[in-house]
Amino acid sequence: MSKGKRDRSTKARQIVEHQRAAERRRTVTIWTSVAVVVVLFIAGLVGWNMMADQDDGKVTTPTAAVDDGTAFAVGSGPVTVDIYEDFMCPACNSFEQASSATLKQLVDAGKVTVRYHPVAILDRFSNGTEYSTRSAAASAAAAQEGKFTEYHEVLFANQPAEGSDGLSDEKLIELGKSVGLTSDTFADAVNNGSYRSWAAQATEKFSERNFTGTPTITVNGEQLETPSPEQLTQAVEKAAG
Amino acid sequence: METLRSVRSAAAWPWISTVARLGLAAVWLIAGGLKVGDLAASARAVNAYQLMSYDAAKVVGAIQPFLEIALGLLLLIGLATRLTAAISALLMVVFIAGIVSAWARGLQIDCGCFSAGGALAEGKEAAYGLDILRDLGFLALAGILVWRPHTRFSLDGLLMGDAR
Repeated sequence: MSKGKRDRSTKARQIVEHQRAAERRRTVTIWTSVAVVVVLFIAGLVGWNMMADQDDGKVTTPTAAVDDGTAFAVGSGPVTVDIYEDFMCPACNSFEQASSATLKQLVDAGKVTVRYHPVAILDRFSNGTEYSTRSAAASAAAAQEGKFTEYHEVLFANQPAEGSDGLSDEKLIELGKSVGLTSDTFADAVNNGSYRSWAAQATEKFSERNFTGTPTITVNGEQLETPSPEQLTQAVEKAAG
Repeated sequence: METLRSVRSAAAWPWISTVARLGLAAVWLIAGGLKVGDLAASARAVNAYQLMSYDAAKVVGAIQPFLEIALGLLLLIGLATRLTAAISALLMVVFIAGIVSAWARGLQIDCGCFSAGGALAEGKEAAYGLDILRDLGFLALAGILVWRPHTRFSLDGLLMGDAR
């Protein structure tokens, strides 16, 4: 075999090898891409199913709850004031401090029905103890015993700071005792988290109404721009006509 | 000299790309992992952008963490790196657009990038500029991988049978 011929056959072999390698790369690229698409699709399906499953499960709704089981009403006036609050939310506490006297006045004068909606949107600010959910659930337990208003007040008066562990279940029960919630029923409900699923559902309904922050206050369905006693009074007077 | 330099840079790229791949994998795994435990909160975080109905936000909020984790795992093993990087880049562009739009509308929200965000805590200012810069950094990592998808320690390399 001449040197020239050998060179040519080596070159031919190289070309074939090169083509084979390119072919292999193409096949691998196609199949790995298909695999990636399948994996991502399955991941999406898993998320979808988890979401669908969330809505299942039994929810114990306190018998006193109104407005689709999401709220506890005070007073019986013609104008409806809806107040959505997270017990962990400092702005809600400020609103309570500033407006509770005004609200009480309006209720006592028979002008308004106040519907308190506890929601739990700030669980991420209590180091994993989910204080927002626990406190909202405890307030439902208090409502079941007919003491929502008192308990609501004492929870805000003892509000833990955002980023702390929140109040322990023990402390939640103790605060209950201080407002006359001395029954085992209340303590058991707090310890067992009996109304946690209720809190999750109430929060879900809050989101469904397209509210994103707390406090959210509506007067006959009209949302207050800035929650203050002045705006509240104005809105109530306007709604009363 | 010129050829030597280009040979050297050809040898360096797979390593640079490997770092980018593993870095991006970590980003996705952390981002997804932080949201996956509370899908309701994830839905609220999406809803806080006020870009879609709550029902749509619920779907996006539930699917997103799982997609993020899946992308993270795929990048970690290095499967179809160019495609996973391209999808990562696309998602980053969507996230950046979302943050820009929230910023432009003056919403005060946590971007929900590395948490199930939502409305901000009291007294916290939204840090949109930083969020965008960070996402641009991640976009750059994805860009490197789309451009130079060959990496070390990847399933792609193993399947292609090259030691490159």
